[in-house]
Amino acid sequence: MRFVVDFIGALREAGLPVSPAESLDALKAIKLLGLEHRETCKSVLALTLVKRQVDQTVYDELFDLYFATIRKAEKTKEADNDESPENALKAQSGQTDTSDNKDNTQSQGPSEADKSDAQQVNSSSTLGQALSQNKDMSLAITEAAAAENLSSIVLFTQKNYFAYKIMQRLGDAALSAEIRTIGNSLERKSSLERKNSLEREGSLEREGSLEREGSLERENNLERKNSLEQKRTQRKLIKSRASLLNQVKDYVEQQYLIYAQHKGLKYREEYLQQAKLSQLDRLDFKLMQSLVQRAARKLASQHSRRRLTRKRGQLDVRKTIAANAAFDGALFHTRWKATRVERPKIIAICDVSGSVSAVARFLLLFLYSLQDVMPKVRSFVFASDMVEVTALFKQEDIELALEEIMQRWGGLSTNYATALEGLQSQALASIDNKTTVIMLGDARNNQGDGRADIWEKVFRNSKRVLWLNPEHRNSWDTGDSIMSEYAPWCGSVEPCRNLKDIERFFSRLLKHS
Amino acid sequence: MFIPECQIVVIIKHQEKIASPEIIQSRYEDLGYICSHSVATAIYLACHLQKPILIEGPPGVGKTELAKVTATYLNAPLIRMQCYEGLDESKALYEWKYGKQLLYTQVLKEQLGDVLRGARGLDESIARLHDFGDIFYSQDFLEPRPLLQALQSQEGAVLLIDEIDKADQEFEAFLLELLSDYQVSIPELGTIKAVSTPIVMLTSNNTRELGDALKRRCLHLYIPFPDAALENRILATQVEGLDTQLREQIVALIGKLRDMPLKKSPAVSETIDWARALLLLNVEELDPHWVKETLNLLLKFQDDIELVEPEIKALLKDLR
Repeated sequence: MRFVVDFIGALREAGLPVSPAESLDALKAIKLLGLEHRETCKSVLALTLVKRQVDQTVYDELFDLYFATIRKAEKTKEADNDESPENALKAQSGQTDTSDNKDNTQSQGPSEADKSDAQQVNSSSTLGQALSQNKDMSLAITEAAAAENLSSIVLFTQKNYFAYKIMQRLGDAALSAEIRTIGNSLERKSSLERKNSLEREGSLEREGSLEREGSLERENNLERKNSLEQKRTQRKLIKSRASLLNQVKDYVEQQYLIYAQHKGLKYREEYLQQAKLSQLDRLDFKLMQSLVQRAARKLASQHSRRRLTRKRGQLDVRKTIAANAAFDGALFHTRWKATRVERPKIIAICDVSGSVSAVARFLLLFLYSLQDVMPKVRSFVFASDMVEVTALFKQEDIELALEEIMQRWGGLSTNYATALEGLQSQALASIDNKTTVIMLGDARNNQGDGRADIWEKVFRNSKRVLWLNPEHRNSWDTGDSIMSEYAPWCGSVEPCRNLKDIERFFSRLLKHS
Repeated sequence: MFIPECQIVVIIKHQEKIASPEIIQSRYEDLGYICSHSVATAIYLACHLQKPILIEGPPGVGKTELAKVTATYLNAPLIRMQCYEGLDESKALYEWKYGKQLLYTQVLKEQLGDVLRGARGLDESIARLHDFGDIFYSQDFLEPRPLLQALQSQEGAVLLIDEIDKADQEFEAFLLELLSDYQVSIPELGTIKAVSTPIVMLTSNNTRELGDALKRRCLHLYIPFPDAALENRILATQVEGLDTQLREQIVALIGKLRDMPLKKSPAVSETIDWARALLLLNVEELDPHWVKETLNLLLKFQDDIELVEPEIKALLKDLR
């Protein structure tokens, strides 16, 4: 059961909205059908936890990742059912256990070290013992990881840190110390041997005492055998430690994939929402687009119901009386006139010159993602000439269309006069009192005449004029910006610098339209 | 939420039928509905957890059919409610029988004299009027609509709420009480609880995103287009007398069509129609001529037909 709960946690991290009620359902369902069959289990959890189709791929990915680990852990649990808790306990107590050991070896003189060496063939540290018996460590690793709170991993740079921490918890300190002591004692011995052999040579030359040589030889043999065994132990310990480290690293990597991948994305998204649109990196465009679409979807669902209620008009008296004739004239059913809903129109005009193009891209994307709830939209882009791009959006995929627009018209220098003249000839006639005009531009006109008189006409003909400026309020009217010329002929002028601004703007727009 | 055991009439009666997903899967097959394991699991869970199922998927993959088969399988009446924009509770849940209520007031008027005879003063009259049974708003004048019928059904029922995405958001909210507690509130009468818990299935074609509250209360089953093997079996059971080789060809071709960028991909129901047509026309092997002639059975948009027609030969070549 704990696995399922953990899995739900991972799903939440990945952005799936799993409520407690749904978790309970999942647990109940798993209780009914068990975890044995992978396929059943997968469909059971999908049925109870995944409620949006967009989440399906994330779910599949996570399920495969997650249940691969669980499979392993389950197996070992079954294999050494009563051993495992003991094992884990040992692993955890390993650290304290061996610190005593270390003290011992340090306080012991060189002569006593030899004595303890004999035991060390079986390895003194608990971790070493476990490893030399070839125990499967995956459960211990899982438990150590849980104790170290591995699921809180966020960045890939933390991977080594967590691997280290888990190794420590498994009792690595003792193991390394052991390896070191063996190494030390071996060194000591070899130096002793060298000294001995030197001595022997000297003594042979000088005295040639047979008796003494025989005892020395025996001693040496014993010592050599001893050190050989130690060497073997050391080699084995080093090897198994390396493989354990690998295992831990693999595990951390896997957990990182499960938990952190999506978390990192979340951080990035939060950052992007606040980031200035004009300074976005091209690499982030993709992510940004999905963010825009998500925000648009949210707004769309919030506002979709408003339209429905508006459809009902006034009481239709004639029809009501006719419908209620059967009830002796008592008015039970009411009949309503349907109001003819005149779809309000929106004309979006976007400056796509170098300074504003990045913001324009996302504004247009947002606008078109809102099409479910947004009335008919005509869109124009301009740098110096006004071009209608409504048809382009219809023909092509929104992203492709945006790309094309930016390539064809983006990056040119701005001329508001010619642009507004273009607007006058192309669209002024169709602007009426149901039209909302949204203008996105920085009003930087390269010192030319702004033709604010056309903008005044637009203002007088339309229902509303909204101007979004991608610059901060403080920089309006500085340099070649002529915001103040247009400002009197706008319903409102607002800065529009990041995604949050765009979202807020559209939310208000939908409320009023 | 606790549901007393006695309410689960449908389930107790057919306990052996829903003992495991595998049994459901094989029995449905006997009824001519070939389903994948996850569909069977969903039905199993719906019965045992007492949860509604929200079925999504492209049109024509057998969402509505699943409800029908379930009803047949469990010997329960199928109560179907088709959703549409403007559906409200008077059409979905209950309506008062206005005509009869009017007649009742007429009758009451005549009786009023007898009831109030001898009463002294206004207070006593009103007191007597209160004692008089008030049945104006009572079960007698209640006209149950599908949802209420499902709740009142003694035997339990399979309630199919078809194309919930077509209904308004308000209606969705109105369903929540029914879906989670199997009860509805009628202002004049109070809360009406289910006699026996119905099995509720909702279908959606995803024309709009459903609310999270609704989704949370349901098991969510997504039925995709079937894979080749499954579709082959479906055809085998649905269209009798179809040559095995031809059947495989049909399934392969349909699979290919689904990979093409069509406005509407051919669904299972269209595959079945097409196979039946080919059988009727005594076609023994798919050849470009017959495919071209019958393409309009598979593709419902002229654009799609125009897109596929030039490709027919190439498509058929790949099959062999």
